[in-house]
Amino acid sequence: MPAAHRTIFHVDMDAFFVSVEEVFDPSLKGKPVVVGGRPNERGVVSAASYAARKFGVHSAMPLRTAAKLCPQAIFVDGHPDRYREYSAKVYEVLNHFSPKLEMVSIDEAYVDMTGTERLLGPPMGAAHALHVAMKTATQLNCSIGIGTSRLVAKICSDQAKPNGVLWIMPGREAEFLAPLDVRKIPGVGKVMEKRLQDQGIHKVSDLASRDPGWLEQNFGALGIALSGKAHGLDAGAWFDGDIGEADGPRSISHEHTFSRDTADAQQLESTLARLSEMVCRRLREQKLHARTLQLKLRDSGFHTITRAHTLNEPTAIDSVVFATIRALFRANWKGEAIRLLGVHAAHFEDESEQIGLVGQGPHDKWNQALSAADRLREKYGENAVSLATGMKARFRERTHENPAGLPGKKKPS
Amino acid sequence: MAAEATGAIQGTAMEISVSKFELLRELTATQGVVERKTTIPILSNFLFEAGNDRLTITATDLDLSLRTSCAAKVKREGACTIPARKLYDYVRLLPDGEISIKLLENHWVNLRCGRSNTKMVGMARANFPGLPTFPSAGVVKIPAQTLRSMIGRTIFAISSEESRYTLNGGLMVLKPESITMVATDGHRLAHIEKQGEQFEVSGENKTLVPKKAMSEIYSLLQNSEVDAIEFAKDDSTLFFRIGERLLTSRQLTGQFPNYEAVLPRETTKSVVVHGADLNTSIQRVAQFADERSRAIRMKLDKNELKISSSSTDAGESEDSIETAYTADPMTIGFNSEYLLDFLKASNGGEVRLEFKDAQSAGQMRPDDANDDGFKYRYVVMPMRI
Repeated sequence: MPAAHRTIFHVDMDAFFVSVEEVFDPSLKGKPVVVGGRPNERGVVSAASYAARKFGVHSAMPLRTAAKLCPQAIFVDGHPDRYREYSAKVYEVLNHFSPKLEMVSIDEAYVDMTGTERLLGPPMGAAHALHVAMKTATQLNCSIGIGTSRLVAKICSDQAKPNGVLWIMPGREAEFLAPLDVRKIPGVGKVMEKRLQDQGIHKVSDLASRDPGWLEQNFGALGIALSGKAHGLDAGAWFDGDIGEADGPRSISHEHTFSRDTADAQQLESTLARLSEMVCRRLREQKLHARTLQLKLRDSGFHTITRAHTLNEPTAIDSVVFATIRALFRANWKGEAIRLLGVHAAHFEDESEQIGLVGQGPHDKWNQALSAADRLREKYGENAVSLATGMKARFRERTHENPAGLPGKKKPS
Repeated sequence: MAAEATGAIQGTAMEISVSKFELLRELTATQGVVERKTTIPILSNFLFEAGNDRLTITATDLDLSLRTSCAAKVKREGACTIPARKLYDYVRLLPDGEISIKLLENHWVNLRCGRSNTKMVGMARANFPGLPTFPSAGVVKIPAQTLRSMIGRTIFAISSEESRYTLNGGLMVLKPESITMVATDGHRLAHIEKQGEQFEVSGENKTLVPKKAMSEIYSLLQNSEVDAIEFAKDDSTLFFRIGERLLTSRQLTGQFPNYEAVLPRETTKSVVVHGADLNTSIQRVAQFADERSRAIRMKLDKNELKISSSSTDAGESEDSIETAYTADPMTIGFNSEYLLDFLKASNGGEVRLEFKDAQSAGQMRPDDANDDGFKYRYVVMPMRI
C-alpha cells in the first residue's frame, strides 16, 4: 500500500548549461552569458544566464536576436559532452537520496522521496541536505519543488528559482495552485491556454471550479486530465505512470540546421549520413537497437514533414540506418531548399540473442568495425572516425535538452 | 490446351452458362492470387474469357498470376472482368444449378441463377494486364506430391523480411536424378532432397521460387489428382502447369546464399527422441519463455534431454525426455518457434538432434531410413543464453 500521501521532489538545475560553463571558466560568473554559438551565427540560444535573461534573452531565441537584445553578452559555444558528464553527476547525487528517480531532461529530475523520512528527516531537511550534496559534488545550484504529486513539485520548483526550496504541504495543493495562470500547468501550451481563455478560464481556480464532465465534453480526455491537474493530481499521459517506471529513453534523435538553406543533394545526404552515425553512436552507447527510423525535413518556409519506416529487425548499425533514412529522403525530397534535417530512432529493443548462419550478411562484421570505431572515438574524440559519406557534413553538435539518453532513464547493463 | 485457346473476341457481348459447382471450385482456387489491397483497381478483378466450350478465369497481382478454366456452354464468345471478391462471395450464396453470365453495356455483367438476378460493375477487358505465355521448350515434369511435400517442409523457413530479397523464396535445384529444395531466413535453414527421380534437365537447374508462388502451388496441389506438374521458365517468369491450371510467377533474381557451406559436418553429440514428444514438451516449456525472444534451453545429460525456460514475468518451466545419451553434458539455447516449425512440418516420428557446441549450428532430421526416399535436414543456429 502506498503511504497516505507521497513526497515528490522535482529537482531543476539552475541555468544548467551556463553554470557548467562557469565551472570550466569561473570568469563568466555573474555576467550575461549566452550558450549556443556566436552572435552572428544562425541557430538558437541553448541557454542564457540569469544576467542575460534580464535583457529578455531566453532559450530557443535566434542568436542574432539575443545579440541585439544584449550586445554585451558573452557568447559561448555549447559543450554537449560537458553537460552529459555533469548530468551524470547530478544523477549520482540524486541516486543517493532515493532510487526512485527519473531524469526527465538533461537538467531536471523527479525523485520519489516517499518513506525516506526516517533516513533523511522531514522534506525541508532532506532538501537542504540535497542542496549541500549537489553543491559539493557538482559546484552547481538547483531548485527543489516538493509536493504530493509530480505536478505540484514541478510547479513549485519553478517558483523556487533560483537555488530555493518550496514545499507545498499535503492538503494545501489547491490553495497554492488556485491563483496561478493556467499556463503554469504542465501540458498547457499557447494553444490550450487560448482555448481555455475563450471559455473564460484564466486561473487554475477557474479550471478547478469547472465540472469535470463539462471539461471532458469540451476538451476530451485532455479535459479530464486538466481537471485532475487543477486539483494538484498527476493525471494524463506520462503523469499516470510511476517515477522511474519508464526506464530507458523512448527515442534518440539528432538534428542539424544549416547555416545557409541548401538544395545540394550531396550535402543533404552527407548530412544525413553524419546524423545517422550520431544516432547510432548513441544507440550503441545505450546498448539499444531501434526498430523505427524517422526522417525530418524542414524547408526554407519552415514547412516540416516527418516520414518513418519500421524495420523487421532492430538495428544500431550506421549503414542500415543511413540506407533507410536515405531511401525516405529520396522518396520525399522534391528538390526544395532545406533548412533543417533530422534523424530520429525509436521503438527500442535489446539486441537479438539469435546467432546467424555463417555467411549470412555483413552484420557481424559491421558490429565489430563499429565497436572498434566507438573505442577510437572515446579515446580521440567524436570526429576521429566517420563514414566517408558524412565527411562533407562535419558540424559541431548543437546543444539541446534532448530527453533521450540521460542517466537515470536507462541504466546500461 | 484450353488454357491458351481463348482467343477472346473483343467487342462482342459475351454470354455463357456454367454450373455453380464448377465455377465456385475455380473461383476458390483463384482467390489466393487476387490482390486485396491493390492501388490498381483492375487487379481486384477476374478476367473471364469464353470460347471453345470453356470459361477461362485469370487473376493476377502482377507478380503472380493464375489461369484456370472450367466447362461452360458458350452462347457468344467474348471476355469481361468482374470484381473478384464480390463475385466469389455472391456465387457461394447461390443455389446449385446453372448460372448464366452475360456482358452488358459499360462493362456491367449480368448474373442469373434460378430466381436470382444481379448486375455487377466490371471494368474494360483491355485494362487487364497481359500475361506471359507458356514456353514451348525446356518443360520439366515434376511429380506433384513430391513437390508438395518438399514445399511443405521448407516454406516455413523462408524469410519474410523484404530487405533480404534473395531469401524471400525457396531454391529449387533440379538435376537429372534428383530434386532439392532449400529455404532459409538467415537463422535457420531447411533442406530436403529426393534422389532417384528422372528430370529432363542437363546439369544443374537452379530456380529461386518466390514464397507466394510456393504457397499457391502447395494449396493447388492439395486437392489435385494431377500426377505431375509441368515446370518451365523464361528470362523473367516461372511457369507451373497443374492440370488445367497455369500458375506464373515473376522470378526472384539475385544470389541465394551458399547454403552448402552452412550444413554442419562435425556434429559430435546426438540424441534420438520421439518427434511428437519433443513437440509437446517444447510447447509446454515455451509458455514460460521470454515473449519476444522465445528462447528455451536444451540440456543433454546422462540419458535425458532436459528442456527448460524462464522469464521474469511468467516463471520457469522444465520438461525432461528420456533418451540414450552418454557423451559429455552440454547446454544450448534455441528460439522455440524455430524448433516447433520443424517438428510441425516433419511427420512426428523419431527425430535425431545433432550438436557440436553451444555456439554452433544444431541439426534436426527424421531418424527414418525410409522417409519415402526424402533426405530432410534442418539446421538451426543457437541463441546466446
